[in-house]
Amino acid sequence: MKLGNDPEAEKFRAEFGAFLDEHLPLAAQATERPRSSSHMPEWTRRWQRTLFDAGWLLPGNPPEYGGRNATLPQVLAHTEELSRRRIYHSFNPQGVGIIAASILTFGTEEQKKKWAVPLLRAEMTASLGMSEPGAGSDLAGLRTRAVLDGDHFTVNGQKVWTSCAHDADVLLTFVRTDPDAPKHKGISVLLIPTSLEGVVRRPVPCMTDPADTDFNEVFFTDVRVPTENLVGELHKGWTVAHGSLGHERTMLWISYAERLEDLVRDAPSDAEWYATLQTDLQALRLLGYQQLSGTRNPAEVSVLKLFGSEAVQRASWHAMVEAGEASLLHPARTAPYNHMALEVFTSSWFERYARTFPGTIAGGTSEVHRNIIAERILGLPR
Amino acid sequence: MEFEFDEDQRLLQQAVRETLAKTREQPQDALWATYRELGWLDAPPVELAIVLEELGYVADPTPFLATATWFAPLAGRLPDGSGTAVFDGAGRFVLDADRADEVALLTGSGVVVLPGTEVVAERVATFDAGLHVAHVTAPSELVAGVPDLALMGLAITTVGACRRIFDLVVAHVKQRHQFGVPIGSFQAVKHKAADMYVAIERARALAYFSALTIAEDDPRRRRAALMAKAAAGECQHVVFANGLQLFGAMGFTWENELHRYLKRALAGDLLLGPALVHRTALLALESAKEGAAA
Repeated sequence: MKLGNDPEAEKFRAEFGAFLDEHLPLAAQATERPRSSSHMPEWTRRWQRTLFDAGWLLPGNPPEYGGRNATLPQVLAHTEELSRRRIYHSFNPQGVGIIAASILTFGTEEQKKKWAVPLLRAEMTASLGMSEPGAGSDLAGLRTRAVLDGDHFTVNGQKVWTSCAHDADVLLTFVRTDPDAPKHKGISVLLIPTSLEGVVRRPVPCMTDPADTDFNEVFFTDVRVPTENLVGELHKGWTVAHGSLGHERTMLWISYAERLEDLVRDAPSDAEWYATLQTDLQALRLLGYQQLSGTRNPAEVSVLKLFGSEAVQRASWHAMVEAGEASLLHPARTAPYNHMALEVFTSSWFERYARTFPGTIAGGTSEVHRNIIAERILGLPR
Repeated sequence: MEFEFDEDQRLLQQAVRETLAKTREQPQDALWATYRELGWLDAPPVELAIVLEELGYVADPTPFLATATWFAPLAGRLPDGSGTAVFDGAGRFVLDADRADEVALLTGSGVVVLPGTEVVAERVATFDAGLHVAHVTAPSELVAGVPDLALMGLAITTVGACRRIFDLVVAHVKQRHQFGVPIGSFQAVKHKAADMYVAIERARALAYFSALTIAEDDPRRRRAALMAKAAAGECQHVVFANGLQLFGAMGFTWENELHRYLKRALAGDLLLGPALVHRTALLALESAKEGAAA
């Protein structure tokens, strides 16, 4: 155990910091705002490409995929530096963090060139098609059907909560290819361009604002998807699901730490909850570093997700309540505008509180994560 | 920062566990002699925390905690025999004051160390019969100044006791059958157990962080110690309530060993003030810092 950071990682952090100082888009260049996390105004595309070309988009990757073969402590320093400055390195975060990452792990060389690189260079955007009306927490129960027919799959079915599908060029879609296999074993993953005939997207506004469309329903009717769009092996989609979410989950705690830090900054108080907020923030960081050391049970990421999302929710509630009747104001701004991040992080107290619920629902509900902790860490019977 | 045990620390943890598993039935004097012989009292802060966590796990009956984390930081040395300290400004609820060979007192004119025989200390009856707690009638004017090491020590000891409760409870819910299945297969039970686990992980991380900031004399050491003590208390609250609940009537009996650890954990929260006190102290520390910066 030691407090000091790896000197190599610190050098790396300083180098990245200098790059950001020099290349960060100005507020005046960033007036067109992204309306969803698959909608990228031109300036956000230029920004992501600048990072890609300099090897600063995903530094752990090799240069051809937007990186510089960085070590894990260096990757952490990079993520922390972005987080500290509240900079979105991509305004299509799931496209870069989950979909391109999955293609790089499970895809063919051809797929990497055709899909991953354009996603990383912000030439296209992607959303993730997992949940269905009948398959939320029980994701493996998904029923969207893909039938192999020569050189293509024919896809029929429906996805829901597909964030930003209406703005995405392609959907990484989990489909059932073998209805007779046990439910985890008959799933495959297809890249489905949204331009294909038979793909219909219907945005569903969020509770915070009827104009805020993030969620989508996506309907597939006899959609012909070329077999070359199959990511990973046929019927082995569950492995991809674990892999894609795994990419996200090991560092997901940093986003919760960011929200806790936001609250420390935006809601100073001399009430007890504010001490708990600071204590939670410190504890989350420590548990995150512990997890990154790689010596822990991988199921411990459930501890980080559960604890981080619930700590943010508790503190956001306290911040909202402490502001009293002023929290009725909506829309409102509760923190300085930051052109390099989404407005939702600085919006009304109501919105900031309401938006903590995606944290405790998406990516496995808190209830599911408690089950995972109980079964995979404590060894309680299923 | 590196927040995992290094190889030596892992070996120490293993050695401490093995030693304590073997010495379980031994009388206090023999235990005390073993601890001294193994050099546990001399351990630096992180290693000391490793020892204390395991001592908490077995609800250690010796004056180790007070000697290593109350007396030593105040006196700046280890006592001849066992020791404790009065640093609350009042001499109330002092750990082991009735049996310490030496007592360090924080007075208006600095630290005074007296032989235990010269200190009037009256042991008070508490719910934890294994714990020695006494009121001290001080010979001189006392001032308050709780050392970081004392907060960390109680915090990690409490975490150790909570881990023991947790292990007993998890074993119980796996083995206890109702409605034809182990009760640990019920979600309501799982979720309570998972919450215990998260609370322990949070408190444990903060306790070791406190030990680390003390070891490196980092400027965050006070803040970390207050957080550690608050979190240990909060952890104890979850672990006591969920643990006793999940154990059912069996846990409420004297024969079952659960109560020993429940009491040690609760005492660990209450001694030097419960979580609330440390949350408040943390707020005061932060606003003092802001005042100084302004």
